[in-house]
Amino acid sequence: MDYQLNEDQAALVAAVQAILRDHDSVPQSARLDFCHFNGDLQHLLSEGGFLDAGRDLGPLEAALVVFEAARAPVLVEAGASALVVPQVLPGEGLAGPVALVTGDDLGKAHRNLPIARTALVDLGDDVAVVELAPGDVVPVESILAYPYGRFAVPPDLSRARRLAGAGPALRQWWRVALATEFAGAAEAATVFTVDYVKQRHVFGKPVGTFQAVQHRLAQCHQIAMGVRYLAFRAAWSGQARDADIAVCYAQAHAQKLIFDLHQFNGAMGVTNEHLLHFWTYRLRALQAEAGGAHGAALRIAGHLWGGGPALRAAEV
Amino acid sequence: MIAALKNLEGFRAGVRDWLAANLPADWQQHMLGASEEAHIAFQKSWFRTLAAGGFVAPHWPVAWGGAGLSFAEQIVLYEEIARAGAPRLVLYFISLYHAPATLLEWGTDAQRRKHLPAILSGDEIWCQGFSEPNAGSDLAGLRTRAERRGDHYIVNGQKIWSSNAQYARYCLLLARTDPSAAKHKGISYFILDLESPGVTRRPIGMMTGGSHFCELFFDDVAIPAENLIGAENNGWAVAQATLSSERGLTILELTERLRNSFGLLLRDARQRGLVADDEVRRRLVELHTRIEALRVMINNMLGRMLHGAGVGTEPSIIKVHYSELLQDFTELGVRLGGLEAQYLQPILMGGGYETGYWMHDHLYSWSWTIAGGSNEVQRNIIAERALNLPREPKLALAK
Repeated sequence: MDYQLNEDQAALVAAVQAILRDHDSVPQSARLDFCHFNGDLQHLLSEGGFLDAGRDLGPLEAALVVFEAARAPVLVEAGASALVVPQVLPGEGLAGPVALVTGDDLGKAHRNLPIARTALVDLGDDVAVVELAPGDVVPVESILAYPYGRFAVPPDLSRARRLAGAGPALRQWWRVALATEFAGAAEAATVFTVDYVKQRHVFGKPVGTFQAVQHRLAQCHQIAMGVRYLAFRAAWSGQARDADIAVCYAQAHAQKLIFDLHQFNGAMGVTNEHLLHFWTYRLRALQAEAGGAHGAALRIAGHLWGGGPALRAAEV
Repeated sequence: MIAALKNLEGFRAGVRDWLAANLPADWQQHMLGASEEAHIAFQKSWFRTLAAGGFVAPHWPVAWGGAGLSFAEQIVLYEEIARAGAPRLVLYFISLYHAPATLLEWGTDAQRRKHLPAILSGDEIWCQGFSEPNAGSDLAGLRTRAERRGDHYIVNGQKIWSSNAQYARYCLLLARTDPSAAKHKGISYFILDLESPGVTRRPIGMMTGGSHFCELFFDDVAIPAENLIGAENNGWAVAQATLSSERGLTILELTERLRNSFGLLLRDARQRGLVADDEVRRRLVELHTRIEALRVMINNMLGRMLHGAGVGTEPSIIKVHYSELLQDFTELGVRLGGLEAQYLQPILMGGGYETGYWMHDHLYSWSWTIAGGSNEVQRNIIAERALNLPREPKLALAK
């Protein structure tokens, strides 16, 4: 693929951006929070059919929606709904938001579980579909920019609907969603920081005037661009290997990206009175998911060259 | 995969078949540690082979003897040349890319008629005389002077980092013709016959053991006025045609070579029993993912070019990415090779930058973050043009 949007894709992106523009600001009362989920925006994107783009148009179009949504400082759950659900349940939708849960870690806290109406549980070969009711999930306090929660009582998976053989697809598209969300947040955080260094003056000049700042921001831009293209390629190709490469590249570069972006926002960048953490704390959360960069690297090594002592663990 | 290449599978198969039939299977064996003379002889031989197949000037217009391939076909051709591990035609790079791009856009008919057929026949080898000891990344700071005297220009000065100038007959020369003008404005562009009296060429020994770079010294060298390309003092604009002639195809080819050379790293990891080591596997994959990121960036750039869109700062981003990746790639090769890889190894002449003879590859890779506009300059470009950050103010010099 060569990333040139066709007319339909460009129109889709423009429509999503128009909705986000009107609803993506963090209310003053929530600016000191670590995470702000916008349920109204979630509803709008869902009712507008944007989260069905993966089913109606294709996975690349779904990735475009997820990418745009991830650029907003407010949170909406798009990755699982738009990219994962259509692949594991091609013929039907699920009540969203949707949380993705590793079956082996059922007792741990999971991303988006407190806002989810459905959880897809990775059981290895199969996937369990767990409908959530109020009280099923206990929120877990976190400084990450996603809501985290754990099951109040572990769900009885033997009574849950089971999608036989859907496990590999779930894990593959989870990684595509992860990389795409990462790409959107990385780009937005970079743009936010670039704006900041143009406005913030030191020694009589904008901070962004200095090459020591410019060169590292140029690297951040390069990283964000690389993740975006790799994530879109993974959505377009549908290849598991491409999904692993995208997520590995993203997670391997997360630390540098987060550090530099905070550094250039100066002291404001280490407070939560600034918007930056709404994106960078998402990057921090995403860098650890799905086995992290090390796990992704060993998975890729296993695919490419076979074997390896840590391969079995990394496949989980 | 670039969408526009889907319909070129027949062309691809034809190129692949041609390479299988014409690429000497043992060329690496003969070029490993080969003498300069043998290297030059083989470069000329490979040039003739490519010319016979119609692949030596794929981008040249048919009217001037080129193949007139579409840009999409050229992409396929370079992918296949890299995949086959064919020798790089380094001796003719300036001749086949920079010289024709410059002459076709800015040259006179007489200049084109004199030189383009001679280049295509393999008789003329060209080099480039741009960089100077004090004008590298800041190319417009060049000091070599050309003064008009009657129907000649008299040139004095020095150039450096001129690849293969010791084998070249002609040089694409930038010289200052108006020292009083702003530095970009007072430069002119010439065709210099290197056999002119007053030209001295001196190969520079490199830390890799090779010496393909030259210094050029000019002492009252006379250049006929008809060898001026474009108008006097308009050389900076002419040079842009030279520098944009590669159109992303060189970096595409180099990236494909890098992809294909991954097997050499694996070979060494396996030979040392390290391929099952988690840390080695992680490092290998890190490089693999960076190569893939590079390739998707290049795909995007080429795709935009195929659609007739501008490429913005992507060439700068790609150059930075490739050069730093190449350094890390070859460094891992040195590390995997252990002490043996630290010895000065024979050079695979014409083999590229990731030949598996890691010490040479790695030492050569150091030049990549400097050449073609240092990575610091490229990051300035990205910061200013992609991120719209303000240009760093000039230093206030002490009075």
